[in-house]
Amino acid sequence: MERYLRNHDALSEAEQATLAIDRVLVVGCGGLGGMVIECLARIGVGHLRVVDGDLFEATNLNRQILCSTMNLNRPKTLAAKQRVMAVNPLVEVDAVQANLTVENATSLLADCDVAVDCLDNIPARLVLQEAAKNAGLPLVHGAVAGWCGQVCIVQPGEDLLSILYGDAREDQGEEVGAGTLSFTAAAVGALQAAEVVKLLLGKQGLSGELLLLDLLNATSNRIHLT
Amino acid sequence: MIKVNTEDFPWHPGMTVRALLDEKLFTFRHIIVRVNGEFVPEEDYEKQLIQDGDDVLVLHLMAGG
Repeated sequence: MERYLRNHDALSEAEQATLAIDRVLVVGCGGLGGMVIECLARIGVGHLRVVDGDLFEATNLNRQILCSTMNLNRPKTLAAKQRVMAVNPLVEVDAVQANLTVENATSLLADCDVAVDCLDNIPARLVLQEAAKNAGLPLVHGAVAGWCGQVCIVQPGEDLLSILYGDAREDQGEEVGAGTLSFTAAAVGALQAAEVVKLLLGKQGLSGELLLLDLLNATSNRIHLT
Repeated sequence: MIKVNTEDFPWHPGMTVRALLDEKLFTFRHIIVRVNGEFVPEEDYEKQLIQDGDDVLVLHLMAGG
């Protein structure tokens, strides 16, 4: 298919066909989620369930790829669906206009192959980790603060987010004082999308490690968490 | 020698968590410290001693999306 020609030979035809039947849950359609959705739609992941209860506001314009002056005060999930339809109508989008909760987490994960944590607060991230663990699904985590970001994969049975956040006394982290920048969200979101695709295709990805990015100093580091 | 975020780092007698953070120039205000997997609360940074051979994790707390 012509639209996927530049995916080859990085992906085989069989791998491309596999992606077309895969299902990914993206929780959060902000800075990280927007980039994850963009990348997964373009590479050809066939089914995306996108979840966010928020509307776009002017403070999102600095970094969130789905946010424009044309859709302020409109649902983020609606923008996600419209964007995917414009980029790749072969991708089916299930847009859920709601925040992730303990009550709805299990149903949101139903039928999915991988979950992606693009949330913006610690309690919701831990709820998603628990639900993904119970569902036996891998979770691709990403978070940003200022010029820095992090990515890891939580395999079923692991509690890596509890190592990162389990003893935190706050709902949010350094981003409250350090802000959130466009290229940091884009870089971390792109890394998350790459890890999702590797999981879907059975390729070796981050395993038990936290990938840390520092875009101010142009450095990266991998830390063993397990 | 101790491990700090997977990498070797010189240890010295009397090294506290606070001294390590200062030596490593960890400047974020929100930090999670674990020594051999055990969480160290911020109020213990001055008094908790690090032992030779300890495995220390110092993570910047970030949760933005």
